[in-house]
Amino acid sequence: MAAIAHESNHPTQTHHEVTRDVVNTLGTAGTGYFLLLAGAVGLFLVGVVTFVFLLKDGLGLAGYNPPAFWSVYITTFVFWVGIGHAGTLISAILFLFRSPWRTAVYRATEAMTVFAVMTAGLFPIIHIGRQWFFYWLLPYPNQRWLWPNFKSPLVWDVFAISTYLTVSTTFLCVGLVPDIAAARDMMKGWRSKVYGVFSLGWKGTQHQWQHYSRAYLYLAALATPLVLSVHSVVSWDFAMSIVPGWHGTIFAPYFVAGAIYSGVGMVFTLMIPLRKALKLEHMITEYHFDNLSKLTLLTGSILFYAYAMEYFIGWYSNNTYEQTAFWRRAFGPMWWGGWTMIICNAFVSQLFWFKKVRTNLTALFIISIFINIGMWFERYVIIASSLANDFLPYAWSQMRPTWADWGILAGSFGWFGMWFLLFARTFPVVAIQEIKEQIPMPRLRKGGH
Amino acid sequence: MSNESAREGLDRRRFLKVVGIGGAGAAVVSGCSTAQVEKLVPYMVQSEDQVPGVPTWYASTCTECAAGCGLHVKTREGRAIKLEGNPAHPVNAGALCAHGQSALQGLYNPGRLQGPMARQADGSFTAVTWDEAIATLAAKLQAAGGKLAVISGAGRGTFTDLFQGWTAAQGGKFARYSAFSFEPLRAANQMTFGTPEVPHYDLARARYILSFGADFLDGSWLSPVETQRGFAESHGYRDGAMAKHVMFAPRMSLTGMNADEWHPPRPGSEAAIALAMANVLLTERGGNPADANALRGVLGPWTPERAQEESGVGAEIIRRVAREFASASPGLALAGGASGQHRSAVQTAAAVNLLNYVAGSVGQTVRFGADLDTGDGYGALLALLETVDRGEAQVAIVHEANPAYTLPRTAGFAAKFAKAGFKVSTSLVLDETAALCDLLLPNHHALERWDDSRPRRGVQGLMQPVMEPVFKTMATGDVLLKVAQKAGGALAQFTAPSYEAHLKAQWLKQLGTDAAWRQALANGGVYGDAPAAPVRLAASAAGAGFTAPAFDGDASPEAFYLLPTASVYGDGRFANRPWLLELSDPVTRITWHSWAELNPETAKRLDVREGEIVQLTSPHGTVEAPVYIFPGLHPEVVAVPLGLGHTSYGDWATGRGVNPLDLLGASDGQGFLPYLATRVTLTKTGRYKQVAKTEGTTRQLGRGIADAMTFAQAKQGMTPALAAAAEGHAHHEVNTEREVEAIEGFDAAQREARRHGEYANDHPMWGMVIDLARCTGCSSCITACYAENNIPFVGEADILRGREMTWMRIERYWEGGEDGEPLEARVVPMLCQHCDNAPCEPVCPVYAAYHTHDGLNGQVYNRCVGTRYCANNCPYKVRYYNWYAYTKTAFPEPLNLQLNPEVTVRARGVMEKCTFCVQRIRAAQHTARLEDRTLRDGDVVTACAQACPSGAIVFGNMKDPASRVTQAQGNHRGYHILEDLNVRPAVTYLAKVLHRVEA
Repeated sequence: MAAIAHESNHPTQTHHEVTRDVVNTLGTAGTGYFLLLAGAVGLFLVGVVTFVFLLKDGLGLAGYNPPAFWSVYITTFVFWVGIGHAGTLISAILFLFRSPWRTAVYRATEAMTVFAVMTAGLFPIIHIGRQWFFYWLLPYPNQRWLWPNFKSPLVWDVFAISTYLTVSTTFLCVGLVPDIAAARDMMKGWRSKVYGVFSLGWKGTQHQWQHYSRAYLYLAALATPLVLSVHSVVSWDFAMSIVPGWHGTIFAPYFVAGAIYSGVGMVFTLMIPLRKALKLEHMITEYHFDNLSKLTLLTGSILFYAYAMEYFIGWYSNNTYEQTAFWRRAFGPMWWGGWTMIICNAFVSQLFWFKKVRTNLTALFIISIFINIGMWFERYVIIASSLANDFLPYAWSQMRPTWADWGILAGSFGWFGMWFLLFARTFPVVAIQEIKEQIPMPRLRKGGH
Repeated sequence: MSNESAREGLDRRRFLKVVGIGGAGAAVVSGCSTAQVEKLVPYMVQSEDQVPGVPTWYASTCTECAAGCGLHVKTREGRAIKLEGNPAHPVNAGALCAHGQSALQGLYNPGRLQGPMARQADGSFTAVTWDEAIATLAAKLQAAGGKLAVISGAGRGTFTDLFQGWTAAQGGKFARYSAFSFEPLRAANQMTFGTPEVPHYDLARARYILSFGADFLDGSWLSPVETQRGFAESHGYRDGAMAKHVMFAPRMSLTGMNADEWHPPRPGSEAAIALAMANVLLTERGGNPADANALRGVLGPWTPERAQEESGVGAEIIRRVAREFASASPGLALAGGASGQHRSAVQTAAAVNLLNYVAGSVGQTVRFGADLDTGDGYGALLALLETVDRGEAQVAIVHEANPAYTLPRTAGFAAKFAKAGFKVSTSLVLDETAALCDLLLPNHHALERWDDSRPRRGVQGLMQPVMEPVFKTMATGDVLLKVAQKAGGALAQFTAPSYEAHLKAQWLKQLGTDAAWRQALANGGVYGDAPAAPVRLAASAAGAGFTAPAFDGDASPEAFYLLPTASVYGDGRFANRPWLLELSDPVTRITWHSWAELNPETAKRLDVREGEIVQLTSPHGTVEAPVYIFPGLHPEVVAVPLGLGHTSYGDWATGRGVNPLDLLGASDGQGFLPYLATRVTLTKTGRYKQVAKTEGTTRQLGRGIADAMTFAQAKQGMTPALAAAAEGHAHHEVNTEREVEAIEGFDAAQREARRHGEYANDHPMWGMVIDLARCTGCSSCITACYAENNIPFVGEADILRGREMTWMRIERYWEGGEDGEPLEARVVPMLCQHCDNAPCEPVCPVYAAYHTHDGLNGQVYNRCVGTRYCANNCPYKVRYYNWYAYTKTAFPEPLNLQLNPEVTVRARGVMEKCTFCVQRIRAAQHTARLEDRTLRDGDVVTACAQACPSGAIVFGNMKDPASRVTQAQGNHRGYHILEDLNVRPAVTYLAKVLHRVEA
């Protein structure tokens, strides 16, 4: 039965058509692409200029209102780390689970992962007071024998992010090799040479395929725990502290679920326009979005549960600090942020119970925007609202972000978008070889000759 | 650098000169002066008393107000860097208020005049030489032929004697005036006791303190440090005893916040209450002074019921408080001060005198004979101004006074003063009065000159130059002598070669020997007891009574009484000092700007919110200020702080805030300025301004931050937890039973571990105890901390973002005030608690936050990269972050000369916090090591503990069972803030004790 169900979703093209369609997405692009790229680079430059000001004058330019010593930058950091997780989940975990629906989308999501982590990795540098000493957080040999403090979650963070970036980049590159070779074979002139260099001499021999499959499997196995560990570590930046609203054992699973939820949201946001622009509608189909939506429904429901549990624990703990923190999250000065997060994440995700929603790409795109906003706000609320109302009421305050916050936030989207756009025109965004694997034997195709 | 040093800053050459002079001139602990040396003297031979890196201390006297506290000035390499109270001085006994601490920012103020200046034909000022300036003045005086008027704010002392003699010799007129000069007290004392002197009020001995509008803890009342010291002594709970303090005033000032009961009467009606109380005492209590019976006729009509009619304060309250007052002996009732200065202020003071007299306090806690210096008063100034106005002054000299600012505009000072032919100012800065003058002869700062002060009988303080003058100024005493030599004639009698010589000659008349003089210099003066001058009731006392004071302006019920309050800025003289501008007002916690206080109900009725700018209009003028909603205010009153709204007083003060004096009329012949005598109408402007206050939420939310217990509970030896339980507020345990068990186990294991390992051995473990029963919230500690630890000010814009750098802050919470419960204020000084289980330490990724062997939370500024995680994780929120390069903006030259070289100046992007004055700890340890002894208790005193006039802060080694801090920690009132978090703070607070009214 299951086999039949799968069969109906098998690609119907020939191997050659797949290669042709995907490789057609590469090469010279139209005006629309360059406008988008210019927009992304422009946003990135906004971020660069803002950062120059931060370097020159100090972090005071951003809207920090002590006792909230962290705000938009850490929010955006967690946001981008979270975005990355969906990519690894889809490319590694679903690979190990042999889910066929991942094939069409995994390459793009994996690229999204790498660029999201690249974006996130900038924030620990941007947000510290003396950016020029960021390397002090790294355990590098020095004459004073001075190590970072391995007790500090921020040091764990450094390891988690750098590991994640390394593994996900390797995973992406390794997966790309056969496809680059396929592109090389379709290209002419200098392009063929360039792709030739990056295909690392791939000839598609039995021997190469054997090693390649093993390597890919092992890398998938290596990446899999990172889906869970990286965002757990990020969540411990908060959970390991004593700040009411942060200090909770629920944080690691809660953040991982949130990360995947936000990541899939970002996949929707990116893939729906992308498949249209690159004319890949026949490869990335409603079937894929339906399955991604189910993943969103699962993680969104976990978030729903986590939100409910947070408030429940806050109430049940009988801990006045926790109670106040959660009361103020819902009804305090930042109630709008708290409710944005609950509505966009917990409630909007429940729309995916309906197949009509799951397969309506317009609806999906709109919902994905809500998911992105909701997940950014989740982190903002957790950070800004918890910090602003902790133990001593005399010290309470409220965040008021400034242009420097928005400048860096915009710059991060520009930076991410720039890389993603460059990638989409340079490398196959759909995994050619894996699609081909999905194509049934010719005899199964037309009812038999 | 070279461009900058072209200005009158401190370039390298000048710096060396300062060092050289310090070395050449100064003698062992304040032996003699930093005599003027013209040449650069390098350290070829090291001076015995100037060791680079070792501070030299000089004794001096504070001149920031008339109280004349003794100072110890800490100098390093020839610059004054810290002021501390002189422990031997009878007035302040080692403590110093925020105003006194800030004298350094007066000394190094960039707004100071850098040398003499003369007005040119086009109205501008240009620099002149001292010779020219003196020649000009001498010529003008010769031409004036005795038509000379002098206004001086200088206190009693040799200088004033000289100045008066100098003026009189020419036939000129002289008035000693400064704002807040307590004329009603003197008038009332004349009336009731036949003497115009201001007595010494001994709060320390009082067992019951009544205040009738006297803001004696607000920093501008007679002798602030001494008053607060006395108050803490009597009202601070100790060994089952404490005085009670009840205040009757329309506004809960800092004094009201420290009262056990605060009752707001109708503005101006305190006299009725005092009379009624005196009446109750006279009729109900035996043992009154015999001649008090003569008052029966005067007091008879003043029943509590009639007082209730006049004041709005319940008769039963008046009767009860009177009986309590009668039963506590000796009691002390106080009146006077700017905030209570309405048109019946003399009557109030007289009524309070009678109450004191009837209660037998006069001679006990009210001791005549001290004759506190309050100047000649407002009347004398107005009389002088009249002569100027009549054109009878060819030359007018204004010294240490700023009447163009401290008088209401309606007094017409500028117009009258303009009629003087030639106007001279000796002001250190171009203040409003100096801006009207023709010749500016800037005086040396008090720390740069020879001088003395006689704030009251028996106390003679000396001042000596502790450093080379910052600018090309000249002591006015020398100016007077030089002018006298130049002008000759009647002035030829003043032959002293210098003011220093004159001063020494005067002192030698009394002291005799040079050794005694040197001894006096080292002691900071000569102190003795004031001879008692007992007083009896004067016949004119029968004139005491009460008539409701008249108020200018709209009498309709929609209008408000305008109450100008004396805040941090005093009479305006402190408005150019960033330490004080950034020091949040102890009552409202507002910084950097003016505000208008409104009662919450009034605000609700008018539908105004905090920050809404309102326009206050009186018949005499209008001012605009943002509203601050303050529960401790009579509903018919709007209160505005005095001291801001300068038009010329240096960059920081000019144009900042508004001056409520603009709303006042001038005096109406009573001899004092009636501050509380105007009604204003309030109109909304529809504009808003975020109020730059340092507080977030004003309620403790039951978190037990500023704990208190009743007097009865304290006497039973209750702990704060037991006391709270007795009040029906069970202790809210945040942890579950199993968590508590775990915490206790962990705690025991940690204590055991400490007996071994690197924290064992002979390391001390530093700790602090803060007694909230003594702390008044005066904020001296904060300014002391700023001065000691090079804390930058951040300015109004960053205060609005909560970015103040106050390592030590006063948190002020309100309790009650709703549903008919009395409003209670709680203050708690908050500083780094130096937790044993510090949450800030493990989260720092680079070990910038770490624990020292002697129990401190260290912070390595050089290592900090600024992740700010430590500050997030600090439950006390006492870590402060350098969002900008504050040190570059907060210490413009020459303010940077004040920086303490023992303390790192922090860079942008690093976290900083209280260090328990680690530099003082290490200095004391070094000294002990050099003297080959162990540290003794009391060797280390933090800057905050040193400054505290209340003696509320005790610091020491918690491992030493005999130390004061260990003893104090054992007090049953001790508690830790946020104890549930198991962070094990090193700061123990002792709960406040309150006399609550028994229901």
